[in-house]
Amino acid sequence: MSDSVLEIKGLEVAYSTNRGDVKAVRGIDLDVRRGEILGIAGESGSGKSTLAVALLRLLKAPGKVTGGSVLFNPAGRSPVDLLKVHGEELRVLRWSALSYLPQGSMSSLNPVMRVQDQFKDVILEHAPDRKNSLHELIPRLLGQVGLEPRVARMYPHELSGGMKQRVLMAIAVALEPDLVIADEPTTALDVTIQRVILQSLADLRTDFGVTLMVISHDMGVHAQLADRVAVMYEGQLVEVGDVRQVFKDPQDAYTRQLIESIPKVGRRAS
Amino acid sequence: MKSELELRGVQQRFHARGVADGYITAVDDVSFSLAASPPQIVSLVGQSGSGKSTIARNVLGLQKPTAGSVLYGGKDIFKLNRAEYDEYRRDVQPVFQDPYAIFNPFYRVDRVLWKAVKKFKLASTREAGLTLIEESLRAVRLEPENVLGRYPHQLSGGQRQRIMLARVHMLRPSFIIADEPVSMLDAQVRKHFLDILLDFQTEHGMTTLFITHDLSTVYYLGGEVMVITKGQIVERGPVSTVMHEPSHPYTKLLLDSIPQPDPDQRWTSRIAVDELDDLEETDAQAAPAPEAPIL
Repeated sequence: MSDSVLEIKGLEVAYSTNRGDVKAVRGIDLDVRRGEILGIAGESGSGKSTLAVALLRLLKAPGKVTGGSVLFNPAGRSPVDLLKVHGEELRVLRWSALSYLPQGSMSSLNPVMRVQDQFKDVILEHAPDRKNSLHELIPRLLGQVGLEPRVARMYPHELSGGMKQRVLMAIAVALEPDLVIADEPTTALDVTIQRVILQSLADLRTDFGVTLMVISHDMGVHAQLADRVAVMYEGQLVEVGDVRQVFKDPQDAYTRQLIESIPKVGRRAS
Repeated sequence: MKSELELRGVQQRFHARGVADGYITAVDDVSFSLAASPPQIVSLVGQSGSGKSTIARNVLGLQKPTAGSVLYGGKDIFKLNRAEYDEYRRDVQPVFQDPYAIFNPFYRVDRVLWKAVKKFKLASTREAGLTLIEESLRAVRLEPENVLGRYPHQLSGGQRQRIMLARVHMLRPSFIIADEPVSMLDAQVRKHFLDILLDFQTEHGMTTLFITHDLSTVYYLGGEVMVITKGQIVERGPVSTVMHEPSHPYTKLLLDSIPQPDPDQRWTSRIAVDELDDLEETDAQAAPAPEAPIL
């Protein structure tokens, strides 16, 4: 088995406009290693979310992939080029091998379904053979992210923002995917809740060996969570490296700027 | 124009199911005062559910507290006579969180500005009114020709939020009550908005109560900060003091939870959501790293 879950080679994504194509992702080469937490950093408009949706094959017109390949190596399956799979083949990969943790906004959960029904929706769609184990699976998944079993019977409006985000996390890992792509998982949450979410994300990797790709504009999040950090600027990777190296000894001028521009608030209670 | 806005022992309870006595206390015996002079910016910071928006509603007179009083110029705002109430209404202006919800989508954005001109008799002729509107739009760095005559959906969130600031600028209140005004704006627009508030303070002498959950915004604004948790204000002081030498364990936990951009300073202790509820018993400081580092 290869030790890379994902091998991205020369990926290019463009958005068509009246004035020609705007290149949002320009030739990215990046490996995601099995079991790691890889942080993708960059300012607004640097192309990090475009990269995520392209990998998930959720890119919508006018966006289009204009070049490159993305080799995905799920455990126990043959490697596939994510950019070339279609229809049923893609549907089977989704959730069971490749999953997505969206930003914890109001709109990610269905407001008229109980939490347990949202789990059922996903699990029955992608792994119908688990139908009989649902009653023990759902509480276990909720437990993994520190939620009580009674949350299963609640509706999204009964949950706080942090709880909703953790429900989304539990759904994302429900079928033990090889790779979870998390797009700004803690944006819009307050700092204490953010800390709880980051803790739970780290636990998922430690306890269940999930490989995580975490997209965030917040360098603090990367410093706390990631093993390696990839820095994007104007659609290109300017630096990829071990988290300590990137923060302590940035090789690229932009990375240095990004780290220097972090507002420093107060002191650390230590 | 009165010189002081004061909360005295304000308590706000709401009916709730599934709790012991049938009530939850959103605001619990809160007292503080805001002075119009010298103009200041006082931030009220706390996490979701701490009661900060309820305080905004109390101060604005949108919600009558179950106990205690809100005083404007020494008088209870719920006992003002007509003239005093009108003055209070003009002198204490709100800016709300959602720049989408405050506009009626069927009317042009001009309407909120003209309403203010008419209601508060700011100008006697149409020309004078228009001059005033244009002047205020420029004060919040909007070009009148780009926004007047447009419908809310044709403007960005930042533009809409600045139109509300233009309205505040026209009225020149002594107090602005801003409830999470930047939480739906992105970083650049957010800075813009905060700079305008700082302008209002220095150039027009307005005092702002700035309600937020975001500590970096508080840090940027400076001035004073009050920390609220579970309906109680636990700490008040200059931003620099509170941020560097927090005295309450909750403030410490809040500051400690800002992710530091340094991989060598990762959190070594864990917090659980329930732990946030019984912080009184467990001082965040007193319990050093009970288990292995989280990473």
